[in-house]
Amino acid sequence: MAAGWNPLNLVRARFRQWWQSRLPLADTTTLTQRNVYILPTRPGFMLGATLLVLLVASINYQLNLGYLLTFLLAGSAIVGMHVCHATLRGLTMHLSPPDTQFMGASATLGITLVNERRSPRHGIGLSVLESDHWAWTDVPAQGSASVQVAFTPASRGLHRVPPLTAETRFPLGTFRVWTVWRPAAQVLVYPAPEAFAPPLPPGEPRSGGAAAARVQSTGEFDGVRAYRRGDPLKLVVWKKAAKADELVSRDSQQAQRHELWLDLAQAGSLGTEHRLSRLCAWVLQADRLGVDYGLRLPGLELKPASGEAHKRRCLEALALC
Amino acid sequence: MLSRLSALPRDARDTLFLLLVIAWVVLPQVGNLPLWCSLLAAGVLLWRGWLAVTARPLPGKWWLLGLLAATLAATLATHRTLLGRDAGVTLIVVLLALKTLELRARRDAFVIFFLGFFTMLTNFFFSQSLLTAAAMLVALLGLLTALVNAHMPVGKPPLLQAARTAGWMALLGAPIMAVLFMLFPRLAPLWGIPSDAMSGRSGLSASMQVGNIASLALDESIAMRIRFEDGRIPPQQDLYFRGPVLSAFDGREWRPLASRFSQRNGVPAALEVVGAPYRYEVTLEPNNRPWIFVMEAAEQRPELPGAELAMTPDLQWLSNRPVTDLTRYKAVSYADFRHGPQRFAAGLAEYQLLPDGFNPRTRALAAELRNQQPRADSAALVAAVLDRLRSGGYTYTLDPGVYGANTADEFWFDRKEGFCEHIASAFVVLMRALDIPARVVTGYQGGERNSVDDYWIVRQSDAHAWAEVWMAGRGWVRVDPTAAVAPSRIGALQRLQAPRGVFASAIGTVSPGLAETLRAAWEAVNNGWNQWVLNYTQSKQLDLLKNLGFESPSWEDLSYVLIGLVVLVSLGGAAWTLWERSQHDPWLRLLGRARRRLHEAGLEMAPASPPRQIAALARRRFGAGADALADWLLRLEAQRYARDPRGNLAALRREFNQLAWPKP
Repeated sequence: MAAGWNPLNLVRARFRQWWQSRLPLADTTTLTQRNVYILPTRPGFMLGATLLVLLVASINYQLNLGYLLTFLLAGSAIVGMHVCHATLRGLTMHLSPPDTQFMGASATLGITLVNERRSPRHGIGLSVLESDHWAWTDVPAQGSASVQVAFTPASRGLHRVPPLTAETRFPLGTFRVWTVWRPAAQVLVYPAPEAFAPPLPPGEPRSGGAAAARVQSTGEFDGVRAYRRGDPLKLVVWKKAAKADELVSRDSQQAQRHELWLDLAQAGSLGTEHRLSRLCAWVLQADRLGVDYGLRLPGLELKPASGEAHKRRCLEALALC
Repeated sequence: MLSRLSALPRDARDTLFLLLVIAWVVLPQVGNLPLWCSLLAAGVLLWRGWLAVTARPLPGKWWLLGLLAATLAATLATHRTLLGRDAGVTLIVVLLALKTLELRARRDAFVIFFLGFFTMLTNFFFSQSLLTAAAMLVALLGLLTALVNAHMPVGKPPLLQAARTAGWMALLGAPIMAVLFMLFPRLAPLWGIPSDAMSGRSGLSASMQVGNIASLALDESIAMRIRFEDGRIPPQQDLYFRGPVLSAFDGREWRPLASRFSQRNGVPAALEVVGAPYRYEVTLEPNNRPWIFVMEAAEQRPELPGAELAMTPDLQWLSNRPVTDLTRYKAVSYADFRHGPQRFAAGLAEYQLLPDGFNPRTRALAAELRNQQPRADSAALVAAVLDRLRSGGYTYTLDPGVYGANTADEFWFDRKEGFCEHIASAFVVLMRALDIPARVVTGYQGGERNSVDDYWIVRQSDAHAWAEVWMAGRGWVRVDPTAAVAPSRIGALQRLQAPRGVFASAIGTVSPGLAETLRAAWEAVNNGWNQWVLNYTQSKQLDLLKNLGFESPSWEDLSYVLIGLVVLVSLGGAAWTLWERSQHDPWLRLLGRARRRLHEAGLEMAPASPPRQIAALARRRFGAGADALADWLLRLEAQRYARDPRGNLAALRREFNQLAWPKP
């Protein structure tokens, strides 16, 4: 970034960081005089220039009606400034905790705006600070409105929700009134699942199992294999068949003898992130197939199991390791 | 209209509304714009509206550039310049219309918005009447509505909602406007009034070609309004308002004497006044002339702040700058006065000159009169001529036809009819032929009282021309020959009525007096507008300060008051902010007060303990004496958490003061 060399930008960035770090963390915030800021916009300055020209013209042509027009416009603009500020002042914003997310997808933040005043608030835009995607809404009188903004986390792991900003230019667009809000909520970001992950690794012999030596290298994973002619119908895993469009049979013997372990050390020879994302894909695949699987990470081992809770535990481990 | 607008998609509806507002802003200008400009603006607005309704793409950049170049050329061809007021007005209207053709982004909307305000201001160059003000107020609300609407990005809010917001802003902005209007120092023009600030106003002119006051006789517009003070109102026949004095005659046209000559050799005014004066205030409509009309004769300088006034030797008051604005001044006039030299002076010979080769028959008439009364003095000759006018079959008419070269001859012998200027001109020519110094005075004669607000109104149709004759021992004497021909023209209220409009005659058939009454009321309203708004000048501002207690106010004091007000309002805002910061829920505040009272009495409680808990603590600590207190606390809790949260907090607050609070 070439602009990074500009010392002014550095100072500005540092100031912004310092400024934001002193904002309290809260999932619910009520806007008051203290956290609502206001500055004129470019059209606002243009309006000022217009007023000046109108005034000079009124003076020069000695137009009393011109004075009236100029001052009425100025008065309306001043009232407009107040209206603009009041659009945010007194508004309560509430963030519902965001869902967990896979890396690379955008996370959605649901924000509820509550207006206790007896008049509606118009034209309020919300966005993640320093992004340029605004979600606009009106908040009805003594009611609430919901807005969703999205952000894309930069890395996996547990992240604080980025600072949000609300802004309005209602009614005249001559002033920008905004606030910066740091929610306390956190969002957990799983690694991105590898797009074309290799097939699941072969099952490992059950530790201490008697038949450890009799590994049939069928290339099939733990407990399930392709349907062979003669398999009894009750061995067919119909659920899988419906999903995968091919018949699979339960291999009870194998299930007893092998268990599927997803191990970081055996997830290929690429970088850690890549391997994590392969493990992530495998976890999802194994969960889809409904088989038991275990996860081994450095300093962490999750025993083979299946189900939603197990999957979640595994993904969390992958996100946080 | 609004419902049909709302059936369109939002973009189209907003665009149409903005176009409508622009059309409204431009409409009052149509009379002042070149025809091509009005047509172009109308065409462009219609085109843009059609594009919006049919959702077609806007024209390309080259179209716009081409149109712009064409209009610049047309402006240059029409006005011979691109600068100055008229060319500026034309250009701004054209720009406003053309800008709608690239109305895409919000930035463009802002440009239109600001251009719209300039256009509104240009309206005031031509008229500052109440009607214009009302129209421009609507335009301002329209522009604000369009802007508010543009900042309601969600859905398709009804225009009425934006209009309501705009209306509220204007309403709340009005006090700010009033304060600024009253206190903003009225400065003199920063670089002088541009020369083209006034044009197309009617009124008296600096020269008189026989026939041009007659055109004014049909002009019912107001020349000035007068309010007499002390309740003394002069009789109609004394209401002569002196304007330009025309003393040089070339056979066709009367002009003032060349100033260079009269200054060196002039006849001094030598004004002497007798009797009680009339004091009055004149509100003069702009006429772009330096003439300050006063009733004859004003000895003292009329009070007109910001202008330097001087009296010419022929008794006319002049200002150092033309009256380009509604102007108000106070004057003192005497109906009884003498002026001019008492004895024949050299300069008076100028008033005896007649051009050679004109009006031979009038000269012959003069010789004949001289022969009839060889020893008669000027007064007797004047009387003889007036007698001739009275009895010679002369008539007063607004439509005397076109006079030829020898206007006096034609009047005295051929047509025997004419308007005041024919009569005055012919009379002065005859006087000069008799070697009596004489001159034509133009101005206004008469006026009528508006029954609604008691102002006297002098109209352009009251424009008049009369004569002044110099007599030895008496100086200049006013002689109004028109009075001899048509006594009713002077003094009485009846005068030749201009043909009435369709509307007025329609009302007249219903009720004869109604049209007059309506006109009187409307003019009174307009006059109020003039007096209160248009005539709010620096002197009025300073009067305001005097009422506020300033000894000798200056415009610096004005700025102090203004700054003081701004500071006061800011302090108010700051106080409000502080108050709001400490302001919580009234329920919490009441609980807080109770908590503080109990804390002072020595009761320990957790910062978050609810009323119920505090009540229990109090009972335990203070015993039965705290029963009423505990009950109050429980009711306070119920008020908050019971079904009806709007219960009576005020009653609880009242009770708070009557409770027996435990003493520390």
